[in-house]
Amino acid sequence: MLTSRLYLAALISTALGGVALAQDVEVSPANNSFGKAEYSPYLDQGFPDRVYFGDTHLHTSYSTDAGMVGNRLGPEEAYRFARGEEVISSTGLRARLQRPLDFLVVSDHAENLGLAPMIEESNPDLLRTEFGRLVHGLVKSGKGPEAYEAWIGRMNALDDPMKGNEAVTRTMWERETEIAEKYNQPGKFSAIIGYEWTSMPDGNNLHRNVIFRDGKAKADEVIPFSQYDSVDPEDLWTWMADYEKKTGGRVLAIPHGGNLSLGLMFDDVTLTTKKPIDKEYAERRMRWEPLYEVTQMKGDGEAHAALSPNDEFTGFETWDRGSFGAGVHTADMLPREYAREALKRGLKYEQDIGVNPFKFGMVGSTDAHTSLATTTEDNFFGKVVPLEPSAGYDRFFEVVAGRLSGEDPRRKSFAWQTSASGLAAVWATDNTREALWDAMSRKEVYATTGTRLMVRVFAGYDFEENDVQRHDFAAYGYRNGVPMGGDLAAAPEGKVPSLMIRALRDADGANLDRIQVVKGWLDAKGDLQEKVYDVAWSGDRKTGADGKLPAVGNTVDAKDASYTNTIGAPLLTGYWKDPDFDPKERAFYYVRAIEIPTPRWTTYDAKFFKTTPPPEAPVSIQDRAYTSPIWYTP
Amino acid sequence: MLKRLLHEPLLHFTLAAVAIFVAYGLLASSSERRADDIVVSAPKIEQLAAVFAKTWQRPPSPEELKGLIDAYVKEEIDVREALALGLDQGDTVIRRRLQQKIQFMTDAGADAATPTDAELQAYLDTHPEKFETAAEAGFEQIFLNPAQRGEAIDADATVILAKLEADPALEAATLGDASLLPAEMPPTDIASIGNIFGPEFAAAVSAAPAGRWIGPVASSFGLHLVRVSEHRAGRLPALGDVRDAVLREWTNDRRQAIADERLDALLKRYRIVIEAPEEGASP
Repeated sequence: MLTSRLYLAALISTALGGVALAQDVEVSPANNSFGKAEYSPYLDQGFPDRVYFGDTHLHTSYSTDAGMVGNRLGPEEAYRFARGEEVISSTGLRARLQRPLDFLVVSDHAENLGLAPMIEESNPDLLRTEFGRLVHGLVKSGKGPEAYEAWIGRMNALDDPMKGNEAVTRTMWERETEIAEKYNQPGKFSAIIGYEWTSMPDGNNLHRNVIFRDGKAKADEVIPFSQYDSVDPEDLWTWMADYEKKTGGRVLAIPHGGNLSLGLMFDDVTLTTKKPIDKEYAERRMRWEPLYEVTQMKGDGEAHAALSPNDEFTGFETWDRGSFGAGVHTADMLPREYAREALKRGLKYEQDIGVNPFKFGMVGSTDAHTSLATTTEDNFFGKVVPLEPSAGYDRFFEVVAGRLSGEDPRRKSFAWQTSASGLAAVWATDNTREALWDAMSRKEVYATTGTRLMVRVFAGYDFEENDVQRHDFAAYGYRNGVPMGGDLAAAPEGKVPSLMIRALRDADGANLDRIQVVKGWLDAKGDLQEKVYDVAWSGDRKTGADGKLPAVGNTVDAKDASYTNTIGAPLLTGYWKDPDFDPKERAFYYVRAIEIPTPRWTTYDAKFFKTTPPPEAPVSIQDRAYTSPIWYTP
Repeated sequence: MLKRLLHEPLLHFTLAAVAIFVAYGLLASSSERRADDIVVSAPKIEQLAAVFAKTWQRPPSPEELKGLIDAYVKEEIDVREALALGLDQGDTVIRRRLQQKIQFMTDAGADAATPTDAELQAYLDTHPEKFETAAEAGFEQIFLNPAQRGEAIDADATVILAKLEADPALEAATLGDASLLPAEMPPTDIASIGNIFGPEFAAAVSAAPAGRWIGPVASSFGLHLVRVSEHRAGRLPALGDVRDAVLREWTNDRRQAIADERLDALLKRYRIVIEAPEEGASP
């Protein structure tokens, strides 16, 4: 027993080493006691045994586009809410999560961080500036909207109205890190320090959340890099490198909102110089941005129906009508906006320039501007304070994106389209800032569209069909393969990659419809391909003549805004061996797990407020999870 | 005539002015500083330099410091002139700022107050629910999947339980079905167990005797056999273990309490007359 455990430990560190070493990440806790006989076999597993759910993207009143639009709740309330306490929302509603989150990143916008609370408290440093006096005067004389217009005008013009007054930002940043410190409780709740770099050239979304591994002491050595400093992500990476050099800390960035970027998020050229992206660009991008936020309130960005016409599960909470600027969205931009296509294009880049610039793992998060990280359909507090639950017109019909793109409503996104989404699920060794950050860094994470379903996948060359039922599933998976986010080593002669997958629904959530594997690859002719395979499903459904598995059914009662778990399965396990594997072709595999239909938030609203959502709003949706891919490189 | 004169505000004003001048003369003669002196004290200069340093991350040069002092003197002159002209009267921004300042004083009172350990201990004792570590249970579980076992699941549970009872050293993990549920949990609070397994399962674990296999216990996933390794009762931690949290909550409460007390006390000093518009009158 002891020998086998030692053997296991050694192999795990080797197996993980391939993934981990590249990113210089410690996976095993330092206090292992290998070599000493211990009774309990579960002491030093050294690999993640729990999945932790959290939000890496939440705004509070410290974000100017939240605080000046009615949000009165600061980071303190945000953490209290995430930890499961009842909080009174900015519109006076009692709000509470069904269950606490395990971690939270308060990611307030860097640009004029804390302007609204400073106005509120008539901060003397603020009032020493001309712009400060202007907006302060407007707000205090009841002209809040004019103050907001004054600010957003400067923001969009990249003209920092507080230029030369960095002390003001420093004060608010230090308050933010102070509050994170106060609510961080290792082992129980991680208050991870972060902020949002809100790059928005011409209103097109290139936003990144910057996530610190470190505590206040190191984070305070800098003030957030903002789009006033530069809108080019390459400059953000330089700033991040400087931070690490200066402090010895660690930091990563998570881009999001490619669907609102007019093709800039996964562009073929650099932003400023418009040069084709090269090896150095690819290396730097992957060094600093290991993850992509694939789903959030402003739409789901996994795949698009026009790019994946054979995938009947696309079209989920899609926002493809434009950006926040005046630019017009066209279909040719789609491949540079959606994750699956970018993952595929990354394979081609790897062949052409030697490095894959789009080799990212995937998380979901909210991007809520209410300080309330709500992600479930039955408890949705909206994108911004004016859209908090109410029977009012705005809750469904306010224009959220496309305000500047003319009169045509087809270029606008409305409040009813807002998605009650998403969460970042992290397979980590412990609930601490460091362990969670390390898991993010090695991409052992997945995205959910708001629910807490659990998904785990391992890929390897020697897995057998019944290995997925093994009682030591995880240990065996690490020993003989790689987890989500990992890299398969070159295929041994005659071997084919196979995946072992398990998915479990939320303890009191909706049952599962199916588990799928999404494969993308670069074929021998140099063309990019994709295919979605159904791997496991509930009930005794049979694949039809068209190769499609019939739909699971739908128990949603719209009037009652309810569903039952009489269809679907609580647990699905799947084994999948690539039927079309060619060892010479680059490929990636990721898992998509799909729940049975449940009422959409608009349906819950209709019942509670007796309001009528627009007919285009789906009555029910199928929440889902997307794992980080596993890559195969010849 | 004299009576009317005594009611004349101008006379009151004049008399008051005379009184002030007399008092001023007395004071001025007994002090070296005059009211029209503007004194830039050493602490003030240090403060100006400190604010500069916080912005620029370096101390000011002598020229810059002179500039700061000049700006301060100019500000002081302007402020005094403005006050003399009564420009502060009826200004909403100034009124709000004054209100903010007085609120700040109370907030700062709460934030700056350093409670004694005895006070924190008392807070801990009177608010145990905020700090209690919840009751915890550590356990092993074997999952039986109804989708795999169908009708036989109850009989299977009985058989496996009997095996485990007969041979407690049996490697339990090998007897159940696959899931993503942990086979063994270290002592964990009951609510967190509920988050993973569902509340009914957590309740059953919390009630189960330690040291032997029981079951089947139902969860929303299926059936389980469970052996609790250890129960840890919830307890109120010692102050030393939760000092930061107690301080955080004490300060939060204190801020609210001071604000309420202050308002209550001040309200007693005022008679509030609210002249509501007559009903039916248009707003």
